[in-house]
Amino acid sequence: MDRRQFIKDVFLWSAGATLAVPQFRIIPSALAAERPQPLLSVAKGADYAALVSRVLAPLGGMGQFVKSGDKVVIKPNMGWDRKPEQAANTNPLVVMALASLALQAGAGKVLIFDRSCNEARRCYANSGIQAALAGLDDRRLKIDHMDNRKFVPVQIARGKSLTSWEIYKDALDADCYINVPVAKHHGLSRLTLGLKNSMGVIGGNRGDMHHDLGQKLADLATVVRPKLTVIDATRILLRNGPQGGDLNDVKQLDTLIASADPVAADAYATTLFDLQPADIDSTVAAYNMGLGEMDLAKIKVLTA
Amino acid sequence: MVRNRKIPVYLWRRLCQLLFFALFLFLFIKTDYSGSDELEYAVNILFRLDPLLALAAIFAGKTLVALMLPALITLVFTLVFGRSFCGWICPMGALVDGAAAVIRSPQGTVGKELRPVKYYLLIFILVAALLGLPLAGYLDPFSLLVRAFSFAVYPAFDFAVSSFFTFTYLHAPDWGNAALEPVYDFLKNTVLPFSHRVYGLGLLSLLLLALVLVLNHWQRRFFCRNLCPLGGLLALVSRFSWLTAHGGDEQCGKCRQCRAICRMGAIAEDRRISPADCNLCLDCVALCPRNRIHFSFRRPQPDAVSSGMTRRAFAGTVATGALLPLFLPGRPLTRRPDPLLIRPPGALAEDEFLGRCVRCGECMKVCIGNALQPALLEAGIEGMFTPLVRSRIGYCEYNCTLCGQVCPSGAIKKLTLPAKHAVVIGRAFFDKNLCLPYAKGIPCIVCEEHCPTPDKAIKFRPQQVVNARGETVTVLQPFVVDELCIGCGICENKCPLPGRAAVRVTGEGQTRQAGLTLSGG
Repeated sequence: MDRRQFIKDVFLWSAGATLAVPQFRIIPSALAAERPQPLLSVAKGADYAALVSRVLAPLGGMGQFVKSGDKVVIKPNMGWDRKPEQAANTNPLVVMALASLALQAGAGKVLIFDRSCNEARRCYANSGIQAALAGLDDRRLKIDHMDNRKFVPVQIARGKSLTSWEIYKDALDADCYINVPVAKHHGLSRLTLGLKNSMGVIGGNRGDMHHDLGQKLADLATVVRPKLTVIDATRILLRNGPQGGDLNDVKQLDTLIASADPVAADAYATTLFDLQPADIDSTVAAYNMGLGEMDLAKIKVLTA
Repeated sequence: MVRNRKIPVYLWRRLCQLLFFALFLFLFIKTDYSGSDELEYAVNILFRLDPLLALAAIFAGKTLVALMLPALITLVFTLVFGRSFCGWICPMGALVDGAAAVIRSPQGTVGKELRPVKYYLLIFILVAALLGLPLAGYLDPFSLLVRAFSFAVYPAFDFAVSSFFTFTYLHAPDWGNAALEPVYDFLKNTVLPFSHRVYGLGLLSLLLLALVLVLNHWQRRFFCRNLCPLGGLLALVSRFSWLTAHGGDEQCGKCRQCRAICRMGAIAEDRRISPADCNLCLDCVALCPRNRIHFSFRRPQPDAVSSGMTRRAFAGTVATGALLPLFLPGRPLTRRPDPLLIRPPGALAEDEFLGRCVRCGECMKVCIGNALQPALLEAGIEGMFTPLVRSRIGYCEYNCTLCGQVCPSGAIKKLTLPAKHAVVIGRAFFDKNLCLPYAKGIPCIVCEEHCPTPDKAIKFRPQQVVNARGETVTVLQPFVVDELCIGCGICENKCPLPGRAAVRVTGEGQTRQAGLTLSGG
C-alpha cells in the first residue's frame, strides 16, 4: 500500500464514519535507504525565466521530476504582505517559470498555495505571484487559498520532537511536490530555507513549532518530501527577516539553487549568507536523521 | 384586492424596494478587500446619504463634514417627493415591509398614538449631539441594519453554508462532491466572506434588529411610524414637500378602505392624507374603489397636519438632551481612559471620535484582520458599538487602510499608506511571567518574526537562563523598542500561548491622544 492509495482509502472510508479521524502513517523503512552522492545545481543570471530552465538542466530538466498527467504542487513562500523587491516572498518570475515548465512537462494539474502569515489575499496579490500565474492562462494551473477542511492529522513516525501534526492534504498526495523557498534571514532559525518553507503546508498553531524548531522541521521533512527544491536567491533578505520591508536589507544575487536533496539545497544556500551549514539547526537535525547531505564536500555541485 | 387594468403602481414600488435592498446587500458584501488597496465602490454611500447622521456628526463636531454632503440629496429628494425615501428606498423599510409577511399586524390605525415619539427622539439626539452626547447611531435605521448584518446575520449565514459544505466534503460520495464543490467555490467567490468572522455584541445587534421587525406585530411599520429618528427628520421636511397626496373627503361616505390598509397610518378619520406620515407606497391608489386618491405636484398647503408634539414635552426633550451630557464628565474614564481602548489608525481624538462615529459598523465589517470589534463599555455606555482593536482576536494589518476608506463620517481619517505606517495606535508590552523565553527558558520569539515594521519594533537578545529542568540554556529574549512600535497587535495575536498572550498592546502612546505617552515623545 503506497501513501496515495492509503490517503484515498482513508477518505473513502471516512465518508461513512462521522467521527473517525483519518491518520497517515509513513513507513520509516522507505526513508532509510542509502543514497548516491547528491547533485546540486547552481545558476546565475538576470533573466529569471531562462535561469529556471538553466538551473534544472544539469538535473535532467523538469521532465526528470514531472511526468505526464502528474498532480504537481509548487510551494513558494508567499507568506507575507510584501512586494517582490522586498524579498520576503519567492520571486514571482521564478514561480511562474517553474509552473510553466511543469505544464510543458505534461502535468495534469499544477497547484500553488501557501498558508500565509499576513492576510492571505493580500499576500497572494502583493507577492506578485497571483498576477504572474494569471499571465500563464492555463486551466490546469490553480493558485488556491488554503481550505481548512483539507488539513488532515498525520502521524510522524520518525519524529523525535514532532510526532503528529495537521498537514495539508494536497501537499501530501501530490505526485510531484516542488519546494520553492526564498532564501532569507530569520530571527530564531537564523535563516529560512527549504525545510522552513514546509511550515506553509501545515495547520494548527504554528507558533508551537518554535520550541525546538530545528528538530521539528527535520521531523516534518520526514513526511513533507519535495521531489525538487529550488531555492530562490535572485535576491536575498539579510536582516529583519523573515518579512523585511527595508530595501537596504535586500541583496541581489541573481542566483538559483536546485536539488532533489532538500538538505543539500539548504546547506549550500547557507553559504550565500557567509554561514556554514552547521549553523542552521534544521539542516543539522535533518542530516542526522539521514534525510540528506549537509557536507558540502560530499555534494556534487554543478554550475549551470 | 382590486385588480387594475395595467400594472398596479404598488408593484413598481415593491420592485424598487427589492432593487434597493439588493443594492444594499451588494454594497454590504463589497465592503471587503477586493484585491487592491483601494475599494472600488463607495460602499458607505448609504450612510453618507443619511441626513440624520450628517446632522448629528456636524452638530457633534461643530464643523461641516464634507463626506456627508450627499445627505443633502436625500433632503432635496424629500422636499420634492415627500417620505417616498422611506417607502421606496430605505432598506430597513423594505425589510420591515418584508417581515410583515410573517409578522402579522392589525389593519389600520390601532392602539396608542405614539407618532410624536420619533420627533422627540430626533430632537433629543440632535440636542445631545450638540452638547457632547452622541446617540444618533443607536436608533439610525441603517446603523441598526448594518450592525445586525455585519455582526450576526452574515457570520451566521457563513457558518450555515460552510458547515453544510464541510459535512458534504467529509461524507458525501465522490460524485456528490463533484457537483457540490463547484457550488461552494462559486459561493465563496461571490457571497460568502473570505474567512470566518467573529464579532462581539452580535446577539445584541441581532436582538435590536429583531425588535424593529417584531414591533410590526402591534402596528405595521411601527418603527418607521413612531420611532425612527431619520423618519422623523424626513417627516418634518415632508410637510413642505411638493408631491402631495390627495385623499378622499365627505363624498366617500362610509368607505374607509384606504385608512384600513395604510401601512403608515397616514390617513386620518376624515380621509385626509398626512404628508408627514405618508411614505407614498401607493397601496391606497390602487385600492380606492372610486379612484379618488391621487398625487400631484403642488406648493405645500400652510395648514399641514400637526406633528402631534406638545409644547411641554418638547421643552422636556430639549432639557433632557441638554442636561444629560453634564453627567458624562463625572465618570472615572474621564480621568483614566480604558487602557484597552485602542482605536483604529486614523481615528480622531477620543471626544471628537465619539461625536463623529455613527456606530455603523462599516469599519468592523471591512477590517481585513477582523481586528476591529464593537466596544462594550470601554468608552462609556455611549461608546457602545464604536470600533476598537482587540488584538487577541485579530490584528491591524500593516499595509491595510480600509477602515479609513469606509468611515462615512470621517471619524476615522482616510490615510495614505505612508501616513498609516506612522500612526501609533498603541504599544506592546511583554509579560515576562508568561513569555516562554523569560518564564520557562523555552525558545519562541514568534512575535519578533511577525513584527511588521521594517526596523522591527520587537528585537531580541540572547540570554543564559536556567529552565524548568534545571539546565542552563541560551534563549533569545524579546523586547519592545517603544519608538518603533505602532501597536498593530500582530505580536499579541500570534503569541502561541494558548491562553492569555505574553505580549499585549495597550493604548499607550496613541498618536491621536497627545499626552498618553510615557516619554512624552
